[in-house]
Amino acid sequence: MEDTLLKKYLIALAAASLVAGTVAAQTITVALGADPVTFDLHNTNDQPTSQISRQIYDTLIVQGEDLELEPGLAVSWEPVDETTWQLNLRDGVTWHNGDPFTAADVVWTLERFINLPAQSAFLLDAVESVTAVDDHTIHLALEFPFAPILNHLAHSSLGIMHQASVEGAGDDYGTTVVVGTGPFVFDSWQTADRVVLQRNDDWWGGDVLPETVVFRPIPDGNVRGIEVETGGVDIGYTLPPSAARNVEGSSNAHLESVRTLSTAYIGFNAEKAPFDDARVRQAINHAIDVDLIVETIYTGQAERAVSPISSDVFGANPDLEPYTYDPERARELLAEAGYADGFSTTIWTNDNPQRVEIAQIAQAELANVGIDVQVEVVEWGTYLDETAAGLHDMFILGWVTVTGDADYGLYALFHSSQHGAPGNRTFYTNERVDELLDAARVAATPEERQELYNEAQVLIQEDAPWIFLIVTTEEHGVSDAISGFNPHPAGHHRLYNVSKAD
Amino acid sequence: MLQFILKRVVMIIPVMLGVSVIVFGIMELTPGDPVLLMLGERAPIEQQQQLRERLGLDQPAPVRFVRWISGVVQLDLGRSIRSNRPVLDEIKARMGPTMELALIATLFAVVIGIPIGVISATSPNSLADHFFTFVSFLGLAMPVFWQALMMMLLFSLHWDLLPASGRGSSWQYYVLPAVTLGTSALASITRMTRSTLVEALGQDYVRTARSKGLARRRVVYQHALRNAMIPVVTVIGLQFGGLLAGAVITETIFAWPGIGRYAIDSIRTKDFPAVQGVILVFALAYAIVNLLVDVLYGFLDPRLRVRYG
Repeated sequence: MEDTLLKKYLIALAAASLVAGTVAAQTITVALGADPVTFDLHNTNDQPTSQISRQIYDTLIVQGEDLELEPGLAVSWEPVDETTWQLNLRDGVTWHNGDPFTAADVVWTLERFINLPAQSAFLLDAVESVTAVDDHTIHLALEFPFAPILNHLAHSSLGIMHQASVEGAGDDYGTTVVVGTGPFVFDSWQTADRVVLQRNDDWWGGDVLPETVVFRPIPDGNVRGIEVETGGVDIGYTLPPSAARNVEGSSNAHLESVRTLSTAYIGFNAEKAPFDDARVRQAINHAIDVDLIVETIYTGQAERAVSPISSDVFGANPDLEPYTYDPERARELLAEAGYADGFSTTIWTNDNPQRVEIAQIAQAELANVGIDVQVEVVEWGTYLDETAAGLHDMFILGWVTVTGDADYGLYALFHSSQHGAPGNRTFYTNERVDELLDAARVAATPEERQELYNEAQVLIQEDAPWIFLIVTTEEHGVSDAISGFNPHPAGHHRLYNVSKAD
Repeated sequence: MLQFILKRVVMIIPVMLGVSVIVFGIMELTPGDPVLLMLGERAPIEQQQQLRERLGLDQPAPVRFVRWISGVVQLDLGRSIRSNRPVLDEIKARMGPTMELALIATLFAVVIGIPIGVISATSPNSLADHFFTFVSFLGLAMPVFWQALMMMLLFSLHWDLLPASGRGSSWQYYVLPAVTLGTSALASITRMTRSTLVEALGQDYVRTARSKGLARRRVVYQHALRNAMIPVVTVIGLQFGGLLAGAVITETIFAWPGIGRYAIDSIRTKDFPAVQGVILVFALAYAIVNLLVDVLYGFLDPRLRVRYG
């Protein structure tokens, strides 16, 4: 009797492990850098959230890995007049709960995004109103002609949400109830441990390969690397240099790298002496060896920036020649500006270790041309407040051109209407640059816009309110069993095409 | 005894009140604006103002304090301003994994630490004693993150014996984080057991017990160790309380869904209700552990039982 029981038990166990084996083969486990916050897209704008929400929600327009715009929930779009866009919505799409998707949800989502305001509300700053013309057509009326609006609609925080579900769940929407139209359906969220998504068999975009995707927040980058090597996870996002080198040398995993939309720069307070003299700013551009910073601090995870925006961003000027490293020329320029004996100043940074190292290199390089620099590490909140108020001399900051369009990467940072908190913390003013940036917002064709941006970047480089430092590269650890993983420059990688060999 | 326990329970109330005032005050005084951290560096002033109003942060501090504390006494810790989730739910979800880990780590430290302490104390200055002394100082001196990574490299990557991180359904997931977390407690308990037991073994009553013919074993375990336990229990209690609140690094490295990580994330984003709630819970846990330690004293030391009888 006991014997047969034991046998039954063993058979059951074997069967269970067989079943577990086949399910495991279709489950993709992904390690993220931090916990997601909430899947109510209007209440957060953080990377881990968008890395997951990108799989659950669809945007009207999709920006692919090549940063080209593709149809999403909108199949096509055309301008009605200078300030109105018509978007034609996809037919036959259903929400994860079975309800049909209509224009009413789009209007509701965009209006909620504007009125709440959502944390990334800047995306729709140009929008005056959204109206449903019929069940599958909407009109987007703008306050002024604004060419990059289509890119803005592709941002992950503008995923379209289901009005009835959001209102029905109230404050619990985004944690226990999450309803989208995307390739994966929200299954469960174990706080701080994992978020589980299941395949949406009815997705309009075609076949979704993984049956289940499990997202695990693993805050330590070296541990994400170890987990990829041991097979504990299939994909580990954004490895630090040390972990990336280990994965590179591993026998069962490899790296997938992608150039991101993030840049870092040293800025000057262009309204404050001595940095109000362009020659001083140019001199410092010549005095700092940017290649040294790229090689020693970023060890393979960045390349030298040649313009204020990543070369992948639409509108980046590909023909700019970087300032040469030339301390002699720097001393000449300083002498011309009346600072032959140098001067004393400060450089601010937040406690980001790489930025602190950049500040230290700058300090050493500038001592070489007679400028005495004091490095000050400032707490982030204070840093933002005081650089917005113009209390700084030199500072180090970064910018992510999330929209993949030069407007977002240049307007806020160099237009004279944006001084201080809106983004132009160098207090840089050049009327011609203002004109060019304004014109590029309105220009009808991409070619015209490109020309305007090219000229603006030439002027910005000459005036040198920044030292262009780096464009970062992200390295993701991927198990060799995985295929179809194509990292996205904006960081929210699409996973419906990923599969795993047995 | 009951009166003693009741008195100690009542004492927790003013402590918690003090803690809540201090926590609220610290959050008010530290720089950084949660709204700016949420909206990003270029949000227009109107948007910042709208969000501030929505979160109730436009009210003066005393108003917010009264509002918060009146929620707290009704066991409502408010909602996180970052995730909009009820803070109490978040804490409950994470308290379990933290408690599990702290209990296992403490158990590990006690079960191994006390016998090692006894061995060292009963043969002081022997080779074994020197070895254990060396190892326990090593345990105290090793940085937690380093130990964690080394163990992961050896047991997960090199030997493929244990999972590297996470909290899965099998016991294997508990081994590395619990050992990492328990190591310094183990070292402290070993040291404390050794020194108090050495002292106890030199007392007159031990000599008396031995001279009336009791076995050495019996004298060590039943007479001396029992008397030596009081400071050891204090250390265990302190260590356990510390493990509840101080598991931040271990939880972060092992991606353990505990409360320490929540505390750090909340502090970093200036999530006022979450930070206040977590600190309050930490303080409460500490107070309860201390209470339990005091009660344990009563069992270990009959004199206390008589005094508070």
